[in-house]
Amino acid sequence: MRLGRHTFGDDEALMMAIVNRTPDSFFDKGATWAEDAAFARVAEVVAQGAEIVDIGGIKAAPGVEISAAEEKDRVVDFVARVRETYPELVISVDTWRAEVGAAVCEAGADLLNDAWGGADPELVDVAAQYDAAIVCTHTGGVTPRTRPYRIEYDDVVASAIADTVAYAERALDAGVARESIVIDPAHDFGKNTFHSLEVTRRLGEMVATGWPVLVSLSNKDFVGETLGLDVGERLLGTLAATSVCALAGARIYRVHQVVETRQSVDMVWSIAGRRPPLRAIRGLQ
Amino acid sequence: MTTRPVALVPGVLALLPSYASLEDPVAGLRAACLAAVAALGPRVRVLASGPSGVRVAEALVSAAGGCVVDEDETGVLVVGNGSAKRTEKAPGHFDARAEAFDAALRESFAGIDAALAAELWADTACLGALPPLAEAEVTYDDAPFGVQYWVATWRAA
Repeated sequence: MRLGRHTFGDDEALMMAIVNRTPDSFFDKGATWAEDAAFARVAEVVAQGAEIVDIGGIKAAPGVEISAAEEKDRVVDFVARVRETYPELVISVDTWRAEVGAAVCEAGADLLNDAWGGADPELVDVAAQYDAAIVCTHTGGVTPRTRPYRIEYDDVVASAIADTVAYAERALDAGVARESIVIDPAHDFGKNTFHSLEVTRRLGEMVATGWPVLVSLSNKDFVGETLGLDVGERLLGTLAATSVCALAGARIYRVHQVVETRQSVDMVWSIAGRRPPLRAIRGLQ
Repeated sequence: MTTRPVALVPGVLALLPSYASLEDPVAGLRAACLAAVAALGPRVRVLASGPSGVRVAEALVSAAGGCVVDEDETGVLVVGNGSAKRTEKAPGHFDARAEAFDAALRESFAGIDAALAAELWADTACLGALPPLAEAEVTYDDAPFGVQYWVATWRAA
């Protein structure tokens, strides 16, 4: 797998730390809205071992309309600053707009995380032009920044596979490198809690497509509704879902809590026989 | 002395590739074992008390670039170690007799009390014919996990 300038082995699981340049995202509620706070967040997750930062300038949920110009103001210079300070870090930008994608790639982004499933058809052309990687998500065809409302599927996993693979092939046709295309079932996007649970339970079917799978589970509503917990109380539920996805073979984890997620994924990776224990001597002396 | 070089290594399962960790918990021991085995030449005859010791020996010989033979050997690799009851956290828990037992082995491998060795979880069945450690180049002498290990090489006379 190659994400822009960075190449990773098939046995590696990667942490993608969320860095919001927004005043209103659901988990941090604007904690990193100020540029210096966002930059401190990058330093923190780098120290925690995250391979990727996912910088977003617009919250996913409905809210005040943010123009492309405003989105660029929030993320482009920030990407350049992160690029200059952390050349070894993979920089992802969470955007669905081709115009924003081009600007951040110009500033040094490696990966375009299109959480809205190809709503802007030209985003793949931008990824191809800059030899950037792209995340192809499943949203069930919803409009960006809308919540699911009475969406049903004959088979949510079949829909997720069909749409993400079609998107991946569209990216390939546009000229994005095969090793730079990632698929994401997009928990909670165009999905109710039952859908997200089923996608988690059957994630192995997405992995079996052969495209590397990204999962974005962190503190989401499907965890909250399942356990009856508010946003700040969802870490354990998130980690349980993370473990199920890790056993199935998900490669990238988009997270708020890097350390806890890494520990969970490392443990599962070792259970799955993909990672040796760190240091085993018990019974082997 | 012998006509072929002889080496002693402990039968530590952590030396096997199938039990490799990301961080080698026996890095120093492994380096000493590999150096000792390398001094035995390309054809190594193995003396071990059980199958796991044989596997450890085969892995070390292979890693050192040699092969295990039954005859016409260029050197002999003996697998064994002292007590596994040296500390509270040792595999066999602490036994107050273990340290003295190992100290006696350090002086001489002759006349080992097999019953006591069994009680102290010491792998000594193949050690009896070895010359004393005083005549060897001893590159490892420690009990890092409550088990007494020696790595030693007796050069050919």
